[in-house]
Amino acid sequence: MGGERLGPRLAVVAFAIIAVSAVAAPWLAPEPNRIDLESVLAPPSTDHWLGTDGLGRDVLSRLAHGARVSLGVGVVTALVAALIGLPLGAVAGYRGGVWDGAVSRAIEAALCFPGLLIALAILSLAPPWLARLPDTLRLAAALGFLGWTPSARYLRAEFLRLKTGEEILAARAAGASGLRIVVRHLLPRSLAPILVTIAFGASAAALGEAALSFVGVGISPPTPSWGEMLFEAMRHMGTAWWLALFPGLALFVTVYGWNGLAEGVRNWLDPRPRAL
Amino acid sequence: MTAAARRLVTAAVTLVLVTLIVFALLVALPGDASGDDETARRLPDEYRAALRAQYHLDDPLAIRYARWIGDVARGDIGASLREHRPVAAILRERLPASLALNGAALAVVIMIATPLGIGAAWKPGSSLDRAGLAATTALYAVPVFWMALLLQWLFAVRLGWLPLFGIEGDERAGGSLARTADIFRHLVLPVTCLSYGSLAYVSRFVRTALVDAAAGDGGRPARARGATALRYVTVHGTRQAAVPLLTLAGFLIPRLVGGSLLVEEIFNVPGLGSLLFDSVLGRDVPVVLALTLLSGTVTLAAITGADLLAAWADPRVRHGR
Repeated sequence: MGGERLGPRLAVVAFAIIAVSAVAAPWLAPEPNRIDLESVLAPPSTDHWLGTDGLGRDVLSRLAHGARVSLGVGVVTALVAALIGLPLGAVAGYRGGVWDGAVSRAIEAALCFPGLLIALAILSLAPPWLARLPDTLRLAAALGFLGWTPSARYLRAEFLRLKTGEEILAARAAGASGLRIVVRHLLPRSLAPILVTIAFGASAAALGEAALSFVGVGISPPTPSWGEMLFEAMRHMGTAWWLALFPGLALFVTVYGWNGLAEGVRNWLDPRPRAL
Repeated sequence: MTAAARRLVTAAVTLVLVTLIVFALLVALPGDASGDDETARRLPDEYRAALRAQYHLDDPLAIRYARWIGDVARGDIGASLREHRPVAAILRERLPASLALNGAALAVVIMIATPLGIGAAWKPGSSLDRAGLAATTALYAVPVFWMALLLQWLFAVRLGWLPLFGIEGDERAGGSLARTADIFRHLVLPVTCLSYGSLAYVSRFVRTALVDAAAGDGGRPARARGATALRYVTVHGTRQAAVPLLTLAGFLIPRLVGGSLLVEEIFNVPGLGSLLFDSVLGRDVPVVLALTLLSGTVTLAAITGADLLAAWADPRVRHGR
């Protein structure tokens, strides 16, 4: 009984710590990029709780600022993906027929694109108004543009399942318009899958941002990103374990936290028993 | 049959559109294959002009794309702008490593996730179900490059059991058995990194498909008649669950030819993922287009094939309702 909920609860607590440090980073750690050549690659100590990197920068400070990037990119990416994917999924699921076919083919086409090229294109070809946005937001736009297919697929499936239900038939018999049925009847009943895909989208985006930054095409240095920190750690593998351990742990907790949140939302909102 | 033919035509049109957009984006990115801004300062103008003429980089975009797709229709996918040799030869070199890596990873995922999913579906809510769920969910959250660093550090640096990276050792003199064993040793860490993250998704998919099937009209009577766990799952469950499992296959098969950039970079495996990465950054248009065409064809073939097979596996569809 209790054990079943322990995992999600732990995840939420750890996740909350990361979220708080993300919000408070500018006050807790005002100088994530301060270079201290006197203490390069210093192991964890009372001065530097999680040690320093190859330039003598404080790992804990950079970790806290990396949390801003990771969580920010996660949330914005998931929202961008939802804004693109949900309307398409709604149209496909509700209208069916030609609309469904068109959206399904669009999803297949989206899966054929090399994601890396699309991300690079959005990052470097952005129109001026987009280019003025900070790195994190542009990266989120790119990742969101790549990741809209799951939300479209889930909402489509949910609408297909719901629209033959009695409430919907009753609303239609009462003369409700298509738009009204979608907005007033179908969307509220689909809240669980919508929130769940947003949370899972944020978790995938956190991994995606770290991966892009790891290979050097994501957040540009010196802005701290966990992926870039892990790339740095690769150069000091075997000598400075703290460089690899803490950013990886933070990323793990964040992704696990988003997933735990998604599970929690599903259990809370969805009255259907999960395990039959 | 007309439905299948229509899907084939749609798939072909999709591929043309996708390659057209990829081509347009690649050309629109700053820099081209005759050198980026940095090398441009070092190369004489005449030399760069000659390169641009040789690659037809100054022709209108529509003509360049039309020339490419015409060549493809005749079976010629062009030559690399960076390596100055046929793209087909480069793909032939890179494909085996990608297939070996992704194929082995896919096999590992299926061999571990399917029993997990079946076990979980047999008694939903049991401790096996919950433990499998917790473990695979946790694994999904472990970033692959972090896992790669830890495994490299532990098994290659500290213990020295496995090679740090690469796909083959230097000692190629040994027999074919020794060579196979050598490649196998090189693949252990990359395959591990490539497979653990998918366990959650695949085992859950199998579990859900089987639970839904068991709750359906076919499953309950079978259980009521006292079918054993194995028989129930293999005979009744999988047949009922054929449609979702085919869908799953449609999404997993395309991974064979892509999706392993990080692992290839970290373990220095000469596969298609790192080729795409280098070619996009180097603006090597023919190679990027060929890779898009390859992965796009496999993706569409797998999804469309799964769709058509699923329609056929459903007796209501097969017998015209």
